[in-house]
Amino acid sequence: MSLLSVKDLHVSVDDKEILKGINLDVNPGEIHAVMGPNGSGKSTFSYVLSGRDGYNVTEGTIFFKDANVLDMEPHERAAAGIYLAFQYPVEIPGVSNLTFLKTAVNAVRKARGDSELDAINFLKLARQKGEILDMKDELLKRSVNVGFSGGEKKRNEIFQMAMLEPVLSILDETDSGLDIDALRIVSEGVNKLRSSERSMILITHYQRLLDHIIPDFVHVLIDGRLVASGGKELALELEEGGYAKFGGQNNDSEAA
Amino acid sequence: MIRKIDTTQFMDQFETAKAALPGPWLSETRLAAIRNFDVNGFPTTRDEDWKYTNLNRIGKTVFEPPKSPPNSDPIDFGALLIEGAQRLVIRNGAYDSLSSSIEMSADAGLFSDFAAAVEQPSPGLNECLGNIASFEDAPLVALNTAFMDGGFVLMVSEGVTIDRPVQIIHFVDCPNTDFVVHPRNIIIAGDDSSVDVVETYIGSINSRYWTNAVTEIRVGQNATVNHLKRQSETKHAYHTARTQVYLDRGADYRSVAIATGAELSRNEISVMLDGSGAKCTFAGGALIRADQHCDNTTKVDHRVPDTASRQVFRNVLDDKSRSVFQGSIIVRPNAQKTDGSQSSRSLLLAPGTQANAKPELKIFADDVKCSHGATVGELDQDALFYLQSRGVPIREAKSLLIEAFVNETLDEVKDDILRDHLSSAVAEWTNVVDGRNG
Repeated sequence: MSLLSVKDLHVSVDDKEILKGINLDVNPGEIHAVMGPNGSGKSTFSYVLSGRDGYNVTEGTIFFKDANVLDMEPHERAAAGIYLAFQYPVEIPGVSNLTFLKTAVNAVRKARGDSELDAINFLKLARQKGEILDMKDELLKRSVNVGFSGGEKKRNEIFQMAMLEPVLSILDETDSGLDIDALRIVSEGVNKLRSSERSMILITHYQRLLDHIIPDFVHVLIDGRLVASGGKELALELEEGGYAKFGGQNNDSEAA
Repeated sequence: MIRKIDTTQFMDQFETAKAALPGPWLSETRLAAIRNFDVNGFPTTRDEDWKYTNLNRIGKTVFEPPKSPPNSDPIDFGALLIEGAQRLVIRNGAYDSLSSSIEMSADAGLFSDFAAAVEQPSPGLNECLGNIASFEDAPLVALNTAFMDGGFVLMVSEGVTIDRPVQIIHFVDCPNTDFVVHPRNIIIAGDDSSVDVVETYIGSINSRYWTNAVTEIRVGQNATVNHLKRQSETKHAYHTARTQVYLDRGADYRSVAIATGAELSRNEISVMLDGSGAKCTFAGGALIRADQHCDNTTKVDHRVPDTASRQVFRNVLDDKSRSVFQGSIIVRPNAQKTDGSQSSRSLLLAPGTQANAKPELKIFADDVKCSHGATVGELDQDALFYLQSRGVPIREAKSLLIEAFVNETLDEVKDDILRDHLSSAVAEWTNVVDGRNG
C-alpha cells in the first residue's frame, strides 16, 4: 500500500486546466523528484496536495494513508503528516518565528493526540533542530521570514519541517535562489530527515539539487502531464538534452 | 436640517445635583460650565471635529443618577488587577474605599479620589483643574466640568519615581439602566518625576450607561508619564473620554490604549508640547464588532522648537462596526526641528465594516519632519494559508494575524505585566471570533 496515491488528477485554476491527469504513487521512504519547465504545473501540484484555495480538482483522487486528502482542510493535512516547503516563503510581520512554530507544533501535536509542549521543552527542541540548519537564535526571535535573506527563508522552511516531523514532505523549488553554501546546508538538513518512514517529493527545475539529495525516482512534468518516469539517471539526461526531447520547450518564461 | 439635541434633562439634573457635588469652591466653575453647555449643546456631525461620530444615540437617552448596587462588598477583580500595583476603585461613579488599596507617602505625592482631593482648594490642583482642559468649544468637557465627580487625582512630587504602577479601575455594576457618570481625573507629574498609570474601564452588567470622562495631565520638566488605558466597557455603554496633556521642557508622555468595549466610544487625546525636548507617543488599538462605533481623535500642538510626536493606531473591524481616526498635527511658525509622525491602519474582517481616516497636518514652520499614513486592508490570504499549511486551524490563524496587527501598538509598552493587561483584552476579543465561528 502506497503512502500517497494520486490517480488521474485534473486541476483547474480560474477555469484553466493546469494538471491534465497525473498519476503518482509514493511509498514510505521513497524520494521522488518531479522536474519540469516553468509553467508545466509543478507549483499547482504542490498547492493542491497541501490544500490551497483556488485550485479546483475537476477529476481524480488523492489518497494519503488511505484517507481522502481532498476532504481535508490544510491544517488537517499538516496534522496527518503532509508538509509543503514553499517556493516563496511568506513573511508575517508581528508574529515571531518562535510563536509561529510553537503554535504550529502544538496544534499538530494536539491533532495527533500528543501532549502540548511547554515553553521550556519547546525551546529545547527548537535549539536542537535549529542546530542542524545553523538557525541562529536571532532568526528564531524575528518576525516570520521578515528581513530574512533568500537562503535564510529556505533554511527556515526546512527547520519548520524538522520541527513538524512530517511523513510526506513536498519541497517546492527549495533550491531556487540558493548559493552553493546555502544549498549544502539545506540539503544536509533534508538528508538528516531521511528515513525508511519518511517520503519526499522534490519539485525542481534544475538537476543540481539532485546532486545533493539523491532521488529514488524522477518524473518529468510537461504541460500538466507526467510524460516520463525513471531512476536518477533521467535527471542527468534532462540536464544534457533539456525538456525538448519530452515535448517541452527549453525556455525560461515565467511560471503560470 | 440637523436638529440640536435637547439639553433640558441635563439642566434639570444639575439643579437637583449641584448642592451635593464635591468642592464648594468649584460651584462657580460648575455653573459657568453648565451655562456654556446649555448655550452650545451637544456637538453635531456638522461640527468638523464630529463629522463621523453622531451623538444622537446619547442625546435620545433619558439619564438618571446611578443607584447603589445591592451590596458594597469589596470587589474581586481577579486577573484584571495589575500585580504589584496600588489601586483606586471608582464604582458607579463614586470612590470605593473598600476595594481600593492606596499606599502613597506624603513625600512621594498624592493619590486620592477626586471628591476628597477637591474638598479644600489646593494651589497645585487649582493651577491645572479646568485650565488644562478648557470647556470653551468642548461641550462634553463643559458637561463633565458641571458634574465632575468620581475620578482620581495623582500628584507626583518633584524628583520622585513611583516604582509600583498606579491602577485606577472605573467599575460599573449599578442595577439601574441609563445613568451617566462624569469622572474627572488629574495627573500632575512634578519636574524629574516618573510614574506608570493604568486606567481600566470595565462594566459587569449589561445595562446602558454613559461614561463621560475628562483627564487633565501636566508633565513637568524631564518628567515621564506612561499612561495605559484598557476600555472594556459593556457592549451597550457609551464612552466619551477627553485627555488633555500639557508637556513642559524635556517631558515625555506615552499613551497606549486598547478599546474593545462600548457601543459608541470616542477617545480624544490632545497634547500641547510647550517646552523644547518634549515628546509624546500615542498608540491605540480598537477591536470592534456588531454595530460598535469607535472614534480616536488626536490633536498634537507643537508650539516650540525641538519637540517630537509619534502616533500609531490600529483598528480591527468585524460585522458592521465603524471606526474613525482623526489626527491633527499643528506645527507653529517657530517650532523648527519638529519631528512628527502618524500612522493609522485598519483591518476589515467583514464587508459591512467602515473605517474613516482623516489626517490633518497644519505646518507653519519650514525645517520640520512630518509624516502620516493611513491604510485599510484585509487579512493576508497568503499568510493565512501559510499558517494553515503548518497545522494551525483557520480560526487560530486569524487570531494570530489579528493579534500581530494590534501588537504594533502594544510594542510601545516595555513592561511585561502592563503589556499583558492590554494584550489580554485583545486575546479575549479574538477568542470570541474563535468561539463564534466554531
